[in-house]
Amino acid sequence: MMSTNPDRPVPPRRSGFQIQAAAIRALFLRELQTRFGGYRLGYFWAIMEPGMHVLFMVLLLSTVMGRTIPGMSYGLFLVSGILPWFMFSNIITRALGAVSANKGLFNYRPVKPIDAVIARAALELSIYFWVYVVMLMVLAWMGEPVSMSNIPLLLLAWSMLWLLSFGISLVMMVLGHYSEEVSKVVSIATRILYFTSGILYSVHAIPQQYQIYVLWNPVLHAIEYIRHCISPAYPADHISLAYLTVTTIVMLFVGLLLYKYRERRMMTST
Amino acid sequence: MIKLDHITKSYMTSKGRHYLFKDLTMEIPGGKSIGLLGKNGAGKSTLLRILGGIDYPDSGRVVTDSRISWPVGLAGGFQGSLTGRQNVRFVARLYVPEEQVPEKVKFVEDFAEIGKYFDMPVKSYSSGMRARLTFGMSMAFDFDYYLIDEVSSVGDTSFRQKSADLIEQKRQSASVILVTHNLKRLAEQCDVAVILGQGQAQYFDDIAQAIEVYESYAQNKA
Repeated sequence: MMSTNPDRPVPPRRSGFQIQAAAIRALFLRELQTRFGGYRLGYFWAIMEPGMHVLFMVLLLSTVMGRTIPGMSYGLFLVSGILPWFMFSNIITRALGAVSANKGLFNYRPVKPIDAVIARAALELSIYFWVYVVMLMVLAWMGEPVSMSNIPLLLLAWSMLWLLSFGISLVMMVLGHYSEEVSKVVSIATRILYFTSGILYSVHAIPQQYQIYVLWNPVLHAIEYIRHCISPAYPADHISLAYLTVTTIVMLFVGLLLYKYRERRMMTST
Repeated sequence: MIKLDHITKSYMTSKGRHYLFKDLTMEIPGGKSIGLLGKNGAGKSTLLRILGGIDYPDSGRVVTDSRISWPVGLAGGFQGSLTGRQNVRFVARLYVPEEQVPEKVKFVEDFAEIGKYFDMPVKSYSSGMRARLTFGMSMAFDFDYYLIDEVSSVGDTSFRQKSADLIEQKRQSASVILVTHNLKRLAEQCDVAVILGQGQAQYFDDIAQAIEVYESYAQNKA
């Protein structure tokens, strides 16, 4: 046995936290390389691909929609809505198939299903947050008023949305593993969420008596808050940071609980 | 040391629940290589994975303080669109701190001897090159136990030869958990054994005795 053999030093034991951190980092880099490493311009496309997509939508829709947004330009409004949304929807939809997609990796003992989801979520965050920063710079250069006075709150809103996405993605992973049909339901549900998250239009365009229904959606709160941060003239009196915080904590709690309950089952042959 | 504490494993089949083993408790002392015996479908590969901590029993637990490898020769963990180097780097990052990653990668590169293919996507490899890469990886890291499943793996001759070489190289410092149909090799390379069959598992701390029992059992059935 190794520990009795003087020629071979026993490497220091790693704590559970160290093992998990190493696994998440390795998975993150692997994912990054798989998605963008094969191209000549490599990581440039990581930013450019969604960047071009959004830029095109801004150019197209801002001429169509005109000036219907109170307190901010349509370009800024759309960018601040669609990029956080892309992050959210990518994280949750990809989590659905996370167990089967990463089955081969569970042969390596340090890798647990939650690590794959965390690595994936971290990758989506870094892509879309950087695209957002670049888009803000482009818009500022084009002469749109981008406010720099609420950066900490802006970061808080992004973090909150990320944590919310992560909590939901844990639920999605468990459900997706439990039944493949769930993914059909989820893709319909995300489509509905897309239209009720106030991405292409403003919540202020919805009559007051119906607003309360879309305001159940925590993603909407995060997005509207991001808009308010980047353009303080955009009203935020309908938005509750407390509601966003509570739903995030609840989703994280439910997600982690479900995950803990099903972790072994997800790694067990049946 | 690997301790099995009342473990039960079963599968649901169309004819009801099929038990591989029920309430199995045993303690395998450290430094002993373990052979797993049993007919096809008796659960050898499953027990190997449970011992390795990458599959779980329905109930009970496996306790160990040893470092256990992934199943040697496993290719399922490769990402085909990444190069050999990138795949090896990924695995190295899982097991060693970042500063040791380059030396592990270098080791595998030298061991595998696949030349410029090391920097080409793994999906372009022949099965022989894949095998060189996977064995190079198993050689690069130090574990207390190596999991070797010759039955479930694409059991060609080169695989068996390579796994025998691996055991030979590592036997000074490590043990194996081995599934093979070759009883002669099992006798040479293992110290203790578990015989699986008819929903039960039996532990033997003497490999020769285990093989004797297994052979007489197999003859009685025939």
